[in-house]
Amino acid sequence: MAGLVRFNSLIVSSFIVTGLLAIVPMPQWAMYYRPEWVALVVIYWVINNPERVGIGVAWVVGIIVDALTGSLFGLHALGLALVAYLALRLRLRLRLFSVSRQASVVLVIVGLQLLLIQWLQFLFDLPRGTSMMFLAPAITSALLWPLAWVLLGGIVRSLDLN
Amino acid sequence: MIADNRFGYMDHARQALGLIATPFHWLADTPVRVGNSLSELLVSRTDLLEENARLREELLLSRQRLLLAESLSVENNRLLALQNASALLEQEVLPAEIINVSPNPYSRRFLISKGSRDGVFVGQAVLEANGLIGQVVQVMPFTSWVLIITDSSHVTPVEVSRNGERALARGSQDDDTELDLEFVLPTQDIEVGDTLISSGMGLVYPKNYPVAEVISVRRSPDQSYATIKARPMARVSSTRHVMLVLDAGNPGYAAVVEEAAAAADEESSLAAVDSPN
Repeated sequence: MAGLVRFNSLIVSSFIVTGLLAIVPMPQWAMYYRPEWVALVVIYWVINNPERVGIGVAWVVGIIVDALTGSLFGLHALGLALVAYLALRLRLRLRLFSVSRQASVVLVIVGLQLLLIQWLQFLFDLPRGTSMMFLAPAITSALLWPLAWVLLGGIVRSLDLN
Repeated sequence: MIADNRFGYMDHARQALGLIATPFHWLADTPVRVGNSLSELLVSRTDLLEENARLREELLLSRQRLLLAESLSVENNRLLALQNASALLEQEVLPAEIINVSPNPYSRRFLISKGSRDGVFVGQAVLEANGLIGQVVQVMPFTSWVLIITDSSHVTPVEVSRNGERALARGSQDDDTELDLEFVLPTQDIEVGDTLISSGMGLVYPKNYPVAEVISVRRSPDQSYATIKARPMARVSSTRHVMLVLDAGNPGYAAVVEEAAAAADEESSLAAVDSPN
């Protein structure tokens, strides 16, 4: 029971930290490459603990991200729900992949999320990029995936939760 | 759900979630605040003395300008009264601090430390020491989002201070530190170096605040409008302190005042009900 509480608080605090990373001020040029931290953590939890983090949790986290970034409500919620759905479908295969192959799948998943958000922004005529630069965060996210994988895996193992 | 949002049904949920977001923004801002207070702690005595002397000098200069401006504004008001025009009211300001910028690189917005609890309303004009910086677009209990004048979806009605030529200044699509003047005919008299001030049209921005300086003008015969670029006077990306204008001419302000009056009415009617007992 205590382990369960600790595990849930680890999940919540991982989302709090990524929420902070998503809004921490950066220089203008660096903002174009800001990795989708929240998406990375959602993918990690969905692959390893789908019984705790699924599409619903991803959607709620997305709503909070929307509130944090002051964007249209539902934008990131839909994006992260899509991420969770894709990760859920591919989860058994992803578990067997090497980290570098996982990263290439993460590139596609985050890219699809960014594409969905870009479409929605177009649909509602929100401020958006006019070049392909909007996909840049997918590349940085994929590059940072091994770090997220090792870091979160290390924390889970050191707390001896599974 | 997104459609709901389009029509503003989600405003209350937004307010509630804004409340959740506040501690996040406070935390994200902490490194900057700690850095600032550290540099304040570590500043040397000579630096302080120097700064003090410089500020004194600036204050003196500003006082002198203020004296001139006051006599001019008195004279101006007298002339306006002679003309039966509505007099220019003194505008009060509310100081606020920038605590975060929009993480979306394509939208130019920042978050300020004042919200609906402090009487901030949507459409309120925001100033920086050197000029206009933007307007409030979203209000939460303790914080609000401000759209900067250089956002490509934002248009500021301006006029040239030299001759009163009017124009619309839109945030540039390709350079986020510039403004484009839209629909300016090649025959209109606007030149490099001209100061653009707010014209007060559109009722959002108060009249006569500096907005930008024209940095390039190109008139080519094959285009029906001149291409004019301007740079904002306000230090858009380096400032931390801004002011919110309490302008009686702003329709958002009227709504806030009405609401306050309604609340006061309710209170007084409650008091009237209470008093007989």
